[in-house]
Amino acid sequence: MLNILVFGAVTSAVYAMLAVGFTLIFGVARVLNLAHGAFYGLGAYSCYLLTGRLGWPLLPAALVAVLFVAAFGVAMERFLVRPLRHSALAVLMITIAVALLFEQAMFLLFGSEARNVPAFINATWSYGELDVSGQRLLTLGAGIAIVALLWLFINRTRLGSAILALSQDREGALYMGIPADRIYAVVMAISAAIAAAAGVLTAPFLTVQPTMDLLPMIKAFSIVIVGGLGSIPGSILAALLLGYSETIVAYAISPAWTEIVSLVAVLLTLILRPAGLLGKRAAF
Amino acid sequence: MGSRPWIFVSLILAALAALPVIVKSEYLLGILSVCFIYGIWAASWDFMSGLTGRENFGHALFIGAGAYTSAFLNARFALNPWWGLPAGAAMAVLLALVIGFPTLRLRGPYFALAMLAAATIMQRLTLIFWQYSGGEEGIPGLDPLLNSKIGIYYLCLAALVLTTAALLLLARSHGGLLLRGIRGDEAACQAAGIDVTFYKIAALVVSAACAGMGGVLYAHYQEAVTPDVFSVALSISLIIMVYVGGIGTIYGPAVGAILLALLPELLRGLGQYRLWAYSVVLIFILFFAPGGLVAPLWRRAVGLAR
Repeated sequence: MLNILVFGAVTSAVYAMLAVGFTLIFGVARVLNLAHGAFYGLGAYSCYLLTGRLGWPLLPAALVAVLFVAAFGVAMERFLVRPLRHSALAVLMITIAVALLFEQAMFLLFGSEARNVPAFINATWSYGELDVSGQRLLTLGAGIAIVALLWLFINRTRLGSAILALSQDREGALYMGIPADRIYAVVMAISAAIAAAAGVLTAPFLTVQPTMDLLPMIKAFSIVIVGGLGSIPGSILAALLLGYSETIVAYAISPAWTEIVSLVAVLLTLILRPAGLLGKRAAF
Repeated sequence: MGSRPWIFVSLILAALAALPVIVKSEYLLGILSVCFIYGIWAASWDFMSGLTGRENFGHALFIGAGAYTSAFLNARFALNPWWGLPAGAAMAVLLALVIGFPTLRLRGPYFALAMLAAATIMQRLTLIFWQYSGGEEGIPGLDPLLNSKIGIYYLCLAALVLTTAALLLLARSHGGLLLRGIRGDEAACQAAGIDVTFYKIAALVVSAACAGMGGVLYAHYQEAVTPDVFSVALSISLIIMVYVGGIGTIYGPAVGAILLALLPELLRGLGQYRLWAYSVVLIFILFFAPGGLVAPLWRRAVGLAR
């Protein structure tokens, strides 16, 4: 029981970190970013490169990895997405091209075998039947902190208001003098940084492989569809829902069936409530 | 259409039909057979997604469904592989209905995302339920549809020509016009009293049936199936082939697929970098040739002013 409670919370925290960034860039810039999983993978691989190959200590390596991925996201937005913004399909295709390039580049640079990234905390923590690694608890804590900070940033700062305004009414926001292109870049940076942070945090206990980007991304947009496209509270709620459903299914039936949970959730949501749990016309 | 395009088409088809007489290399004929199958897949993708503008990011779901269904029937129940063609197509159609009904009545990116998720999850399931699906190794030791490589070459060529011709006819029919209308303005079509959801699902069913049959051909050509038939890499490769061919033209994607599938085989050593090259090609096409390469060149060659 306690196992389900804690491991479900960790899974949900990872899913929430992935999903908020994905939903944010969609809600604000209407970019359906299929390279979101690549940001997650790039975070993990940058951290591996800095610690494993160049011998950096973990903390600076993690920070540099997150900043690098944020810069990568901004560059992608500026040079690949912005020129094609007139066509939603072209934007979708360019993001998937980036995802494909990421996978192939990692494959050519580091090979297909799984890589190790050191953990921040190596201790494990036991309480009764519960036996959980410190890194997982750190991921849980960091996930909650990051999502809470994002929430405060969007609702309490001027820049956050500008982001909200753009997501609610692009033209209106433009008339108020909000520089849309710059805000899109900021949002892409935030979205990429959160995904990279999730990659760095989970890398020690999940596998770091060239194909690692795909499944997290599929989870991210399943959550986003269940929660409502563009809604951050919806994403958090759906992340909890899916994280716990998967954990319960893994314990009650078998871990093999967890993969089906998100697909069933997506199809049920689209049949019963296409807008998602908290989806509205306004983004948040 | 004047007679000139028909002369060109006949010449190309005659050349392809005469090829086994000139070229005795079974290796080359085998590669071309696979390229024709890619052509079927790309044309079937284009029929649904190119015409209606609803991009399908998991076409491999239908391919894999066809391939695995036929492989299963052939390996477990020793059924004649020819029965796999209708069975594989039926399974693909079933999946098309399951995914199509909830997602295609909605606007927005739901269909694209659900297809991508469904194909990926199916690939995971083939690994997880390895007792039944053979896991990473898949199901080996299938019977070929025909015993001679030349026979298979002609079978694949005939399948490609027939599918492309049928899809082209459908695309130029009244229904095909409606599909293009949906791409242009879905709301206006709805306002004109057209049941757009029905047309979209019907297009997906046709597309899935063709892809599933292509999957069956592929499985029995390889005489094995592996989980790769469900892979995202395959789905995305097909979309890139469609883009190179010229989206929405059906014959363009079929030719584009043959050329792009042939390229890594001709340039030795490119095999490892195939997907890398494809994604660079895609970026180039998106920025510099949004109409594709094959279809515009073809129109210029045959002098069609379209």
